[in-house]
Amino acid sequence: MAQNRSVPVSLFFTCLADAFFPRVGFATAAVLERFGAEVRVPLSQTCCGQPAFNSGNRREARKMARKFLKAFAGDGYIVTPSGSCAAMVKNEYPALFRDEPAMLSLASLAGERTYELSQFLVDVLGVTDPRSSFRGKVTYHDSCHLRRGLGVFEAPRKLLRSIPGVTLVEMEESDRCCGFGGVFSIKYPHISCRMVDDKIERILATGAQFVTSGDIGCLMNIGGMISRSGYPVKPVHLAEILAGDVEVPL
Amino acid sequence: MEPLSRFFHRRSEKALADTALQAAISRATGKFLGARADAVAAFPGFEAARDEGSRIRRETLDRLDFHLARFIAEAERRGAVVHVARDGAEACEIAARVAKEEGVALAVKSKSMLAEEIGLNEALKSAGVDVVEADLGEYIVQLAGEPPSHILAPAVHMARERVARLFEEKLGEPYTDRIPELVGIARRRLREKFLTAGMGITGANFLCADTGSVVLVTNEGNGRMGTILPRVHLVVAGIEKVIPGLADLPVLLRLLTRSATGQPISTYVSVLTGVKRPEDPEGPERLHVILVDNGRTGILQGKYRDILKCIRCGACLNVCPVYQSVGGHAYGWVYSGPMGSVLTPLLAGLAEGAPLANASTLCGACAEVCPVKIPLPEFLLELRADEREQGLKDPAEVFGMKGYAAVMGRAGILEALERFIGVISQVLFKEGKAPWLPFRFSAWTDRRDFPAPSPQPFRKLWKKQRGIRP
Amino acid sequence: MNPADRKEELIRRIAVALRGRDGANPAPASKASREGTSGEADRIARFREMFESQGGNYLAGPSLEPMLPALGEALRISGVAELFFPPDDAGARLVAETLVPFGPFTLVSLDEVRRPSAPPSAGIQTAEFAIAETGTIVQTGREGKTLLPGLLADVHVVLLSPAVFVDRMEECLAALSGDLPRNISFITGPSRTGDIEQTIVIGAHGPKKSIAVLLP
Repeated sequence: MAQNRSVPVSLFFTCLADAFFPRVGFATAAVLERFGAEVRVPLSQTCCGQPAFNSGNRREARKMARKFLKAFAGDGYIVTPSGSCAAMVKNEYPALFRDEPAMLSLASLAGERTYELSQFLVDVLGVTDPRSSFRGKVTYHDSCHLRRGLGVFEAPRKLLRSIPGVTLVEMEESDRCCGFGGVFSIKYPHISCRMVDDKIERILATGAQFVTSGDIGCLMNIGGMISRSGYPVKPVHLAEILAGDVEVPL
Repeated sequence: MEPLSRFFHRRSEKALADTALQAAISRATGKFLGARADAVAAFPGFEAARDEGSRIRRETLDRLDFHLARFIAEAERRGAVVHVARDGAEACEIAARVAKEEGVALAVKSKSMLAEEIGLNEALKSAGVDVVEADLGEYIVQLAGEPPSHILAPAVHMARERVARLFEEKLGEPYTDRIPELVGIARRRLREKFLTAGMGITGANFLCADTGSVVLVTNEGNGRMGTILPRVHLVVAGIEKVIPGLADLPVLLRLLTRSATGQPISTYVSVLTGVKRPEDPEGPERLHVILVDNGRTGILQGKYRDILKCIRCGACLNVCPVYQSVGGHAYGWVYSGPMGSVLTPLLAGLAEGAPLANASTLCGACAEVCPVKIPLPEFLLELRADEREQGLKDPAEVFGMKGYAAVMGRAGILEALERFIGVISQVLFKEGKAPWLPFRFSAWTDRRDFPAPSPQPFRKLWKKQRGIRP
Repeated sequence: MNPADRKEELIRRIAVALRGRDGANPAPASKASREGTSGEADRIARFREMFESQGGNYLAGPSLEPMLPALGEALRISGVAELFFPPDDAGARLVAETLVPFGPFTLVSLDEVRRPSAPPSAGIQTAEFAIAETGTIVQTGREGKTLLPGLLADVHVVLLSPAVFVDRMEECLAALSGDLPRNISFITGPSRTGDIEQTIVIGAHGPKKSIAVLLP
């Protein structure tokens, strides 16, 4: 296991974790600190602007992107427990600022420093075993932006497989979209629900107790349908599995 | 065909409620995808071919004037009459005039999306020409009076019993729902048409600029029938169908047939150049090619040029979870799935096509399978941005986004709001979930639970835990 | 606007769309790529594998006589009553004439085959090329050749010799380049459709059976 002395990491906890699942933020910080990262949390951060960008509202997206870049100015890594937010910064910020050369270079630099959590643990910190106490039969959903946007699909599996208490089972079409798509889920709820039903069918077929993913949006969608329907499977964020037992103040 | 894409929301709801349709789409897309996956796995050169195919198509578009001019010159040198049509109406006019001048009463037609786009059949019918669809799927939907629902499988939405009833009612054939017998009936009925028709009408999969050739790719053989037996051959093709040369054909074919049906090559590929020569025992004496613009030069000019690279393989339809859920008819026009969601707003107007551009989660599966590497998700995002720029968005959405950005503008405002909502939700939502949400957001909670906001946001809890002074 | 002007106008409109007011139209750079070729026996073997995987029937032998019973049987099973062949195709004529007693079959002309009420027939023809990569037979309309055997017959019988095999379509197209025939038909197996309930049925509009016969 690599010894990482005080690797500076700025935690980009995401607006969804902030408002709905603070424990994801704490789990992320805990895992990073476990492997020697020095975690700072820029408290002026708000939102990467994804909901606005994906729905074509680039003016508002730019506003939020500017604020993000200001909040995370500097050196050191930017790590987030959200594949879609990391993809937004890395892949889409250049599109947002294609007509503003100064902002464009700022955005490109920030993008290079930005990582999704499992990607960072494996590729940068060289973690092979997250040393988690989590126990259970788990199936992993490849969120679209993490898998296709960032090309990350081995890292989460490597980490999950190495946890002694975890049995990892693959669902069929693990990278099939769950139907969240941000605003899509309320613009086309009937299609969104059909897609999440299809996803849940594949999850249930694995017999897993837990479904996990690197994106809160996906888990809210899958979890929301599971909860309404009463299915015997629990959504849990990848960061929480990697962290294991973590103290969350409430 | 008149676009009904602006009704996508309602049409997709109907499609989801139609269980027979659901089963049919599922079967078709599953089969195509499985076959494609096998074919790609068996062809180690596939990724390299994608790069090459993308390059060829890009090169064609970047110098389309040169290549199209060359095609016209070469085709005419071999005896074709080449017409150009600015739009669909003009193309139909030309087609009707050609049919009249050539004295055509009966025409057999192969599958052509462009012909659907411009409403060719209706125009020819009005001009007194009987047009018989010769592709089996098209023949079936023609009898039923419906539009096709998939690029490759026009009648994918119909069960065999329905086809059997159709043949009984419209053709007077004794009822049989055994598929080989149904195919046999169509073979017999259409053979007679092929042998007596005055004109064969086809689209073009490719137009080779350096030889002036028209290339047709089929499995059934109706394209060959219609281009060897009748006296006249009429081709209608979009200007973007051109490829620089015959030498570019093999790699594009390798991509097209594997991406579409998983075959290394389709049963029939015809390279047609010019008209019958005196020593030829059969073949058309007259070849008319109508090159149709209908908005394509407009697309060529702008940021969406690469959508014209499309070789109509249908792979993006098959892999799209939205298409898999609702099928082709819901899209309301000729082109469906991801490529249709980009092309429809560009050809039929953004106001008409915007619902299609918005009906995607941007999952990226389409871009992964596109044989010529069209950046479909990027284009969908651009179209949504265009929608906002052109003032076509729902004002409620714009208002909501402005409010969202305002709240996200200051961490202090955000935190105050989060703490406020956190307190309220503890009162309103028991068990940590919100069974209802206000305004449009009820679209979520109609069928799904939504988590109750945390009593305190992460940023506040972090400060507390780490002893950070606010 | 006369037709010539319309074409000019379209080309000019495209040039403007691509490059603005002063659009010139440079000729593109060309590229050529060739891969290595393989031996004749390997080519034939690959052709056979692909051809059969697409539903074709393959017969090979040192001479025609031993194959005639099997060939006749295959045609009879498909309900074939008549045989036809291109008048200028000596090899096909020979096969057709020697096949007659194995039906028995009747020899008919190309004109007779074009009747709407013609009974099931077998069209016999010598192939111009056989492409190993895909199991594809190539027929063209050059030098007055007919395409009817592979078009109207219920059974398409194609005669092959080792010399007609090539590795890939590229070689075939290169060999045909120059003054292209009116029709180059690449044919791979019998015709088929999956348009009803995604169920593949062999024999749509073209031949229901495709038989390749390899003779030295």
